[in-house]
Amino acid sequence: LLLKESWELEMNLLANKGSPLQGPRIRLIEQAQKLFSETKEQNFESKAAEEHAKLLRLQHELEVSTKQAIFVGSSISDTIRTCIVLGNHRAATRVRAEFKVSDKRWYWLKAFALATVRDWDSLEKF
Amino acid sequence: MAQIPNLDNSPINLSSIREQSQKELLNILKNVRGKKCLVIDPKLGGSLSLLIQTSLLKENGAELRHLSAEPIQTECSKVMYLIRSQLNLMKFISSHIQNDLSKGLQKEYFVYFVPRRTVVCEKVFEEEKVHHLITFGEYPLYIMPLDEDVLSCELDHTFRECLIDGDTSSLWHVGKAIHKLEFSFGVIPNVRAKGKGSAKIVDILNSLQAEEPVNSSDMGTPEINTLILIDREVDMVTPMCFQLTYEGLLDEIVQVNNGAVEVDASVIGTQQDGKKIKIPLNSSDKLYKEIRDLHFEEVVQVLRERATSMQKDYADVKSTSQSVSELKDFVKKLNSLPEIARHVSLAQHLQTFTCKPSFHSRLDIEQTILELQNYDLCFEYIEEMIHKQEPIIHVFRLLVLLSVSNSGLPKKSFDYLRREILHSYGFEHMPTLYNLEKAGLVKRQESKSNWLMISKALQLIPSESEAANPNDISYIFSGYAPLSIRLVQHAIRSGWRSIEEILKLLPGPHLDLKRGGSTSGSAIDRVPSFQSNLDRVTDGHRALVLVVFVGGVTFAEIAALRFLSSQDGMGYDFIIGTTKIINGNTVLESIISTN
Repeated sequence: LLLKESWELEMNLLANKGSPLQGPRIRLIEQAQKLFSETKEQNFESKAAEEHAKLLRLQHELEVSTKQAIFVGSSISDTIRTCIVLGNHRAATRVRAEFKVSDKRWYWLKAFALATVRDWDSLEKF
Repeated sequence: MAQIPNLDNSPINLSSIREQSQKELLNILKNVRGKKCLVIDPKLGGSLSLLIQTSLLKENGAELRHLSAEPIQTECSKVMYLIRSQLNLMKFISSHIQNDLSKGLQKEYFVYFVPRRTVVCEKVFEEEKVHHLITFGEYPLYIMPLDEDVLSCELDHTFRECLIDGDTSSLWHVGKAIHKLEFSFGVIPNVRAKGKGSAKIVDILNSLQAEEPVNSSDMGTPEINTLILIDREVDMVTPMCFQLTYEGLLDEIVQVNNGAVEVDASVIGTQQDGKKIKIPLNSSDKLYKEIRDLHFEEVVQVLRERATSMQKDYADVKSTSQSVSELKDFVKKLNSLPEIARHVSLAQHLQTFTCKPSFHSRLDIEQTILELQNYDLCFEYIEEMIHKQEPIIHVFRLLVLLSVSNSGLPKKSFDYLRREILHSYGFEHMPTLYNLEKAGLVKRQESKSNWLMISKALQLIPSESEAANPNDISYIFSGYAPLSIRLVQHAIRSGWRSIEEILKLLPGPHLDLKRGGSTSGSAIDRVPSFQSNLDRVTDGHRALVLVVFVGGVTFAEIAALRFLSSQDGMGYDFIIGTTKIINGNTVLESIISTN
């Protein structure tokens, strides 16, 4: 029953997708996370929900600091890419550290992102 | 070229089924006198285009519209709706009616449900307070021929509904459809079923027979000898593999819908920029009938030969003076030129995909996964796809293949890959992962994989396969014989008994029963020990087998069955029944889309 409830919350979340109200959405996710964490089997889901909430907060911050509303709703990888494309390497490294992105993925992302902005010099260097 | 397939060469009289459906539809139209506006559910519109010419509908005084949220603009005072029983469609209709009411228009409304009315749908109208304005009816279209040997119920989401949503109404639909066929062709005496859904359909079929018996005594011998029901759940490996027959490839790359593909005009060579052209694909096209089930490489060869011989004929005509009759032959051949040109252009279009290195590496990795040789290599391949953010549907296809053949993924890589997917594609894919797990498509490994045992016992991967000179169905996937078709092969050869041990390793129960010809319907005996060799009819008559895939069938599997029946010494013809023609992408898409 608990399980069902938490999945319903998760589905709810999808329904609320794209709503500009950041506050309630994060709250909802955290609620789901709590429910997930109450059973042992849902360890993975609980962690994912935690990370999701964290990501939304971080993206919100990024939007405020860059004054561009392009972050919320994208994935972690996309966020990193966007940061690099914007030349904001410090933010990219921070996202990478926050979510413990593996080296492998990091290199792909960086290579793709640098290639899109044709920053061949940086690509050469790294 | 008509989109409605020609059914004259069908092993049983499928035209009669289509004619019956046509007649029922026209009767419905005639019941409403005078001019009327017929509003069709767009999804049904596609199916109806295979059933009846639109001109015929217009002759009966119908003005045709597609159903959408937009209000209907029409002069007619009678509005007929032809719809599937889906709640969102009911909302559209009631909003149309309310729109008319607000304008003070008085109209008559008729709602025909396909294939039957449901209480829930009528409830919607009651809630919207328009129920009393509507006359309700049913159009019992349960199954329709897609080609001379293919029947479909056109149910899009059977697989998802049965495995994830727990909604088994589509099984009833399939049971009803088979029962309807029995009214035309007699009670099918032998039934073999594998999988949960299939077993349930057998139950439904039996109870339908008890309620509404087909009177077999005044029909003579049943035309269909055996019914084989295979649940898609039993073999999820085959649909995940990329199809390599001409028709399969067309479906994978440009998508075959209602027996036709739609491509950019530039593909066919006419210079109309940006315009889409619809090309019907069915056995009425003789060249297509010949090449649709061949391996794509062979198709290219056949087309090349045709073109060359044409060229040679042309040169002959130019160089020597020929008799009139020879010229006549030549002109006759010229008639097939548009067909050749059409398929050359299509094949060329497909080749732009098949010559890419990524296409070959994908085929290689599929083969490696199936051989269960090198787990780490497969794992890394998928990991890299995720990291490169390749289309998620491709990732899932390989992931399902890997998980199913390994009976799940080891916990560590299961969690790791799930995390990487969420990170790369976004957390909104959580429900998708959950659905995949619930359907058992991507899950945690709990027991040792028995895929190798199955594959060995059924010879799914032959040691040496010649794609150019096929003796076995494995040539269709260049060295993998589809599991589902191997099961069918065994079922007709010697029944389930000989492979009982293997069947137990696959999901769902299996049944093997004989049904009595008596009208009581309850005379159904299980024949556990009966080594039922299909009685090969001695007078050279070929036995007919109806193979129903519950949850969808791929073109490659259809090709494999056609190939089987064309083999020497095979005394069987196949009719294929399905809930829908699918491929790996469409199955997964129905799981991914959440609403």
